[in-house]
Amino acid sequence: MSLKYITPAERFKKYLPKDYVELVDYGPFGKTQEEAGPGNMGQFKELVEEHPMCSGCWMAYYIRLIFASLPNPEDTVTLGTAGCGRLAISQAAVPFIYGNYGDQNAMASGLTRAFRLRFPDKTKDVITIAGDGGTMDIGFSMTMHSWIRGEKFTTIMLDNEVYGNTGGQSSGMSPKGAVLKMAPKGKDFGKMPATELARAAGCVYTVRMSPTNIKKAAKIIRRAIFVAREVGPTFIHAYTSCNIEYSIPTHEVFADAKAQEKDRFTFEEYMTDEAKEVIERVEAEEKAARMARKAQKTEAVN
Amino acid sequence: MLKKVTEGPAGYMPQSAPYMGVELAPEGQALLYGNKVSEEEAMRDAAKALLTRDNPTIFPGPQVLWDWKDDVAAKAEALLELASEIPNCKIIPMPDYRPKYPKIDVKAEINPNHPNLTILDNKIKACVFVGVHCHYANLTLRMIRAGTDCYTVALCAYMGHEEAMASIRDLHAEDIHKFKEIVIEERNKLGIEWETTLPPENPSLPKEDLTTLSPADYGEYRSLIMTRKGEHVTEVE
Amino acid sequence: MSPNPEKKLEKTLVDINYLLKEAPREKHFITGAQAMAEAVKRASVDMAIAYPITPQSEVMHLVGDIYAQGHIKEYYRAEEELGTMSAIAGAARAGVRLFTATSGPGLLRGLEAIVSWPGHRVPAVLGILTRVINAPLSIQPDNIEMAYMMHCGAVMLHAENQQDTFDFTLAAFAIAEKVDVYIPVAVATEGFFVTHAKGYVEMTPEDMALTEFDPVAAPVPAMDNETPPARIQRDAPVQKSNFMSYLIHAVWQQEIWDSNKRAMKYIYEYLGGPIEVKNPESDVFLIASGCAAAQAREAWRYAQEAGLSVGLIKVRAIRPFPIDEIRDAVKNAKSIIVPEHNIIGWLCKEVKAAIPNGGIVTEGPRVYGGMTLPVELIMKEIHNSLGLEYDLKL
Repeated sequence: MSLKYITPAERFKKYLPKDYVELVDYGPFGKTQEEAGPGNMGQFKELVEEHPMCSGCWMAYYIRLIFASLPNPEDTVTLGTAGCGRLAISQAAVPFIYGNYGDQNAMASGLTRAFRLRFPDKTKDVITIAGDGGTMDIGFSMTMHSWIRGEKFTTIMLDNEVYGNTGGQSSGMSPKGAVLKMAPKGKDFGKMPATELARAAGCVYTVRMSPTNIKKAAKIIRRAIFVAREVGPTFIHAYTSCNIEYSIPTHEVFADAKAQEKDRFTFEEYMTDEAKEVIERVEAEEKAARMARKAQKTEAVN
Repeated sequence: MLKKVTEGPAGYMPQSAPYMGVELAPEGQALLYGNKVSEEEAMRDAAKALLTRDNPTIFPGPQVLWDWKDDVAAKAEALLELASEIPNCKIIPMPDYRPKYPKIDVKAEINPNHPNLTILDNKIKACVFVGVHCHYANLTLRMIRAGTDCYTVALCAYMGHEEAMASIRDLHAEDIHKFKEIVIEERNKLGIEWETTLPPENPSLPKEDLTTLSPADYGEYRSLIMTRKGEHVTEVE
Repeated sequence: MSPNPEKKLEKTLVDINYLLKEAPREKHFITGAQAMAEAVKRASVDMAIAYPITPQSEVMHLVGDIYAQGHIKEYYRAEEELGTMSAIAGAARAGVRLFTATSGPGLLRGLEAIVSWPGHRVPAVLGILTRVINAPLSIQPDNIEMAYMMHCGAVMLHAENQQDTFDFTLAAFAIAEKVDVYIPVAVATEGFFVTHAKGYVEMTPEDMALTEFDPVAAPVPAMDNETPPARIQRDAPVQKSNFMSYLIHAVWQQEIWDSNKRAMKYIYEYLGGPIEVKNPESDVFLIASGCAAAQAREAWRYAQEAGLSVGLIKVRAIRPFPIDEIRDAVKNAKSIIVPEHNIIGWLCKEVKAAIPNGGIVTEGPRVYGGMTLPVELIMKEIHNSLGLEYDLKL
């Protein structure tokens, strides 16, 4: 892990804008989750702050959460594609690659392999964050094949059940019967079984969830990243409603997300034995480190 | 000298300097107004511009702002020495290449996607780009030539830039020192009195103490930060 | 398949000038596909990604073999061409040397990704082993696909034979990676006529290879978490509908074509220039590229034997197109003949646009759909141009 590329040249630090100095001094680079993680969002300089998402956007909240949960933000690259998500993701202080339509998992395949040959001794986390259209419609073949090949990176699908950025068209993930653009009489087939497809294609860790619980959502994001490092492809299918196209009043966005936990986004977590081993090991290590720090702190106080 | 590339504004959608026939200088040479000249000749003209035009500014880019390579410290030091010898010189950084959203603080930084905003707002009539990756430097220099009357100097670690009025290639810290000496010489020739002074620090707002922030400080967005168990916040706007 | 660093072979790394101009060479009798793969073997390629399509497959099989032998660090068969070309674009962000190849319909399938390589500053080398574009289905050589590639900003070289294929492919890596170029270079040659036919190729030693890729010397930062800035906009999500967004896109496009133009000096340095001219004082000129240049060369030889005033211009670089060079070379020509392996005559259009007197250009002869280009067709046009009778017998 090298923080050099995000450390200002000594002599220039006082010439940098405040935004960047804070990112260096109060940002999450090189810090633990207790120092700068989802548990204390708002108390450190976050990787993504200003973004052009709509008021009440649940996707914007989840993207913010993803960035706060990164185990290794200084060694992470994100990839995305057309859609609302990239408007916020591209504002983060983490390299973001935007290619063409739905190609994020193909690009990530090339990128991950290239990283592994250039940096055999380093961990570089690669995460694709795309919408339901980008992941399951236009990018379907490239998504599936990256999983079938066993590419070691994390895929996060921001499922708002609609093409929000292009004006509210029906997607493969829209629920049956939804009246949307390009489905003027209501969509006549149901949601694609994304997590089932992911498992069939070889994902070693899959989760479907409505991320209403910050701690839980963060834990899932981190698990997906840790497993992808060592075992194979991981997939998170997260509900990130579009309050505009689905006409959800802003003050009901959270209630809607809660309601979805009992409807189309019931919590479902799957892991292979190998993935489970990694999760148990990493979480035990994290716990031990946490305890050690706590003990150290207590000792220092005494 | 026939000036192939000059200060703008060159207009709405100017032809690029390479398409106007300007070629990069070979090793050991520099470009001045699109012509191949000695490094010293280009530096001398650039020095005069920085000494005689309003609001001279140095724009350091990511390659010299961030401590990623061994030669960064020496270059940063040399650039500050150079800036200290140019009367009333400012340093405005280009820390990264993403377009600024929602709005750039033009007093505090410059951005390759809309560099003219910083140039125009600060009424900068002569500037130096250094440590900007060549692709972004070319975009920036062309937009400045298109929309402003600023004299541009490119100090480049690689092959230089056709779009700049003065372009120095293969830049090392020594070249910056040499440029500084030329600035001092020209300043003395012009009879400008100046005491070596570091440029002012970045004018962006003073720091907030983030360590004392609590979720309550987030007001209407508080519900998006954290909800308590069983809590359902309805008032978000 | 996984990276195979354990297969690190002992090689002498040399710069491109030494490799192309000074290194000892040995004559081999090989196919064009072998020539391209042999060049890749000597180019210190980090990663190659393959997807089969006739007639390209042969090239990428051989590249797979040289991966297995340890000359390349990573290689895999992707899902289809869009996936291939996207993966190349992804890998390029990590700062590695890349190669892939395709043909006709495959090129078109990958085109969405390929045409964004220049804007994304992807310095990869793309082999184009030409093939007709469906429909009707055919696998035969026809280079109409090159017309689709000509407007994306990539550098394009067109190899006449197996030797060119070897030299151009090696040079392509060096040209693509120049800091003032840094856009993809496509090396095209005709499927089957070159890829599956043998010719003599003077090759450099197998244990000598191009110096390795330098991820730092680049006009854009590698997105490798080692190179600043952390906030990177290499990919220009220029998404606002306002003048600033239009302007950045406009100057970005200019930068790609500027980079394309800057490649010309390296085409001179490494390949001796974008055109080859025989008999510069002639009345009639044959202007051709790729396989058509081989046939034009043969017609030119016949014409020499018959004592006719015929010159030959072989065009090596399709992008940047040698406008000034061609204009100068044919300034005293009375007529120009452009033989081609495609129906639209893209080279003919380029030549006409390059010279002030386009009326002297004969449209053709052209063959397509995989047909061969008999020298006699060219001879007939030569005779027509000189006002001579020619008894065409095929």
